[in-house]
Amino acid sequence: MGFLQEKVAELGSGTNLIRELLAGAPRPELVPDWAIPLTAVFIGVGILLAIVSLCAMFGTWLERKVSGHIQCRYGPMRAGWHGWLQPLADGVKLLLKEDLIPLGADRVLFVIAPALVLSSILGAMAVMPLAPDFFFADAPMGVFLILALTSTTTIGVIMAGWASNSKWSLYGAMREAAQVVAYEIPLGVSLLVPLMVAGTFNLSEASAGQAGGFGIFGWYIWPVGFGTEGFSLGNPFMIPALVLVFVAVLAETKRAPFDLPETESELVAGFLTEYSGIRWSFFFMEEYAAMFLYCVVASFFFLGGFNSPLTWVFEDGGLLPNVFLFNVMAFVTIVVKGFLGMFVMMWVRWTLPRLRIDQVMTMGYKYLTPLSLLCVLGAGLWEWGKWMIVG
Amino acid sequence: MVTVSRYFNNVWKSFWTTMVGMRITGRYLLQKPITVQYPDERMPIPNRYRGIHYLEQEKCIDCLACARACPIDCIEMDAVRHGKELEWISFTLDYQKCMFCELCVYPCPKDCIHMGTEYAFVTYDRSEFKHDLLSYKGMSRDAKIRMVDADKKKAEKEAAKAAKPAHEEAAESAPEEGAEDAGAE
Repeated sequence: MGFLQEKVAELGSGTNLIRELLAGAPRPELVPDWAIPLTAVFIGVGILLAIVSLCAMFGTWLERKVSGHIQCRYGPMRAGWHGWLQPLADGVKLLLKEDLIPLGADRVLFVIAPALVLSSILGAMAVMPLAPDFFFADAPMGVFLILALTSTTTIGVIMAGWASNSKWSLYGAMREAAQVVAYEIPLGVSLLVPLMVAGTFNLSEASAGQAGGFGIFGWYIWPVGFGTEGFSLGNPFMIPALVLVFVAVLAETKRAPFDLPETESELVAGFLTEYSGIRWSFFFMEEYAAMFLYCVVASFFFLGGFNSPLTWVFEDGGLLPNVFLFNVMAFVTIVVKGFLGMFVMMWVRWTLPRLRIDQVMTMGYKYLTPLSLLCVLGAGLWEWGKWMIVG
Repeated sequence: MVTVSRYFNNVWKSFWTTMVGMRITGRYLLQKPITVQYPDERMPIPNRYRGIHYLEQEKCIDCLACARACPIDCIEMDAVRHGKELEWISFTLDYQKCMFCELCVYPCPKDCIHMGTEYAFVTYDRSEFKHDLLSYKGMSRDAKIRMVDADKKKAEKEAAKAAKPAHEEAAESAPEEGAEDAGAE
């Protein structure tokens, strides 16, 4: 158990905090040494699972309300106030549904696929800091870890498509593979722009770099910023980079107009065709959690991360310095920013019609990839020039 | 150079048209929904809407004009006549057949059958579509009172008729007795 203890000790402050709370048990001599870190890890995983499922619950509700109101109808209205309990009712329904596995399916892969999809997004979620002083894995290469882990969901999707033993599912899976290969490049490349500006791969460090300026004007997105060191020249390539990241994220998370893998009208939900009940909902939880995660990551590198007027009030040297409230407000800030990003994604979804598969490929290879490379080139030259002139 | 400018023109156009589209959908998003929460609130119905019929049973005289006018014979009525008053047994309209043509409304001499505004008619069984329009069976209280009054008058008249020859034949006491009898009733 020594190895495990070492590994657990390396984890971030989130588990440390839980561990300290657990160490204050009424009779600590009865608790074995290895139990406390292990329990802390389990509690941490529970928190992450809760975040993922709450994301999916609120996300589905928001999606239905936004789509309803864009089409001049109400959306769910019956369960609770404006249907806010609808996802709970849906969850109960999905749990009670028959768990079908098709006769010709590869049973093992069919069962593993949803779990793989969900576990990869859980792993990626662990890298996301929840507050400046509460995080699970403070990875120095945070963004790359998130990109790597979220793209493993593709393996799960391809598994699901193959194991279903259905033409539609296989088509959906192949489209997903093609789409992810096409859009992973522009996503990674255009994320290099903020990385160059921030000078770090770590999310909380990037957020700390955008402090000051009433919590708004220090963000990296502004061509001219006003941060902790007064006025500073930003990078004009950040705005196109944000647009590129947004489009690439739409394609990565299989959102319309890039929802080719699960086209309802052509492929009868693609790789989801043969799934039912709770397994089916795992894919949806992954989709909404991935949307939230990508939006939060984008907000960390473009839109200030933890910095907002809310946190600016409680931060060190602000109006009312308070560490606890600062952390709470930081959590609220990233949740709000994540859901605002999700809202824009839904808005785009209910605005644009679905692209054809060749148009998706054209968009990825002919437009996004060269443009993101151009963006990186421009941003790099700009930063170099700034370094040469300003020093 | 043309290719390059076309390329960037495409990029700009796709960005701009998306913005235009999002402006439109955003406007819809902020506008009040046009749908209504159906069972709780309903859309206003035009006055001349032809829905489920309703019958002013008090006025109806069981003349069968509507039943005769009906092109598919879906109206059936049954009543027993007590003098001028009616004792209702049934007035059914088979909504499996009815085509809501409103032809039964026009011939009614008393203007007592109308097309209503109710359109939702759901049953658990087909036979229940044979809908009874009567609001009460038998006779109404007013009709009963009227009938009793009419019977009384009839009895009075008969008594008067019976008394006349008696008056002519017998002595003075007979009409007084007849008047007392009528008063006692």
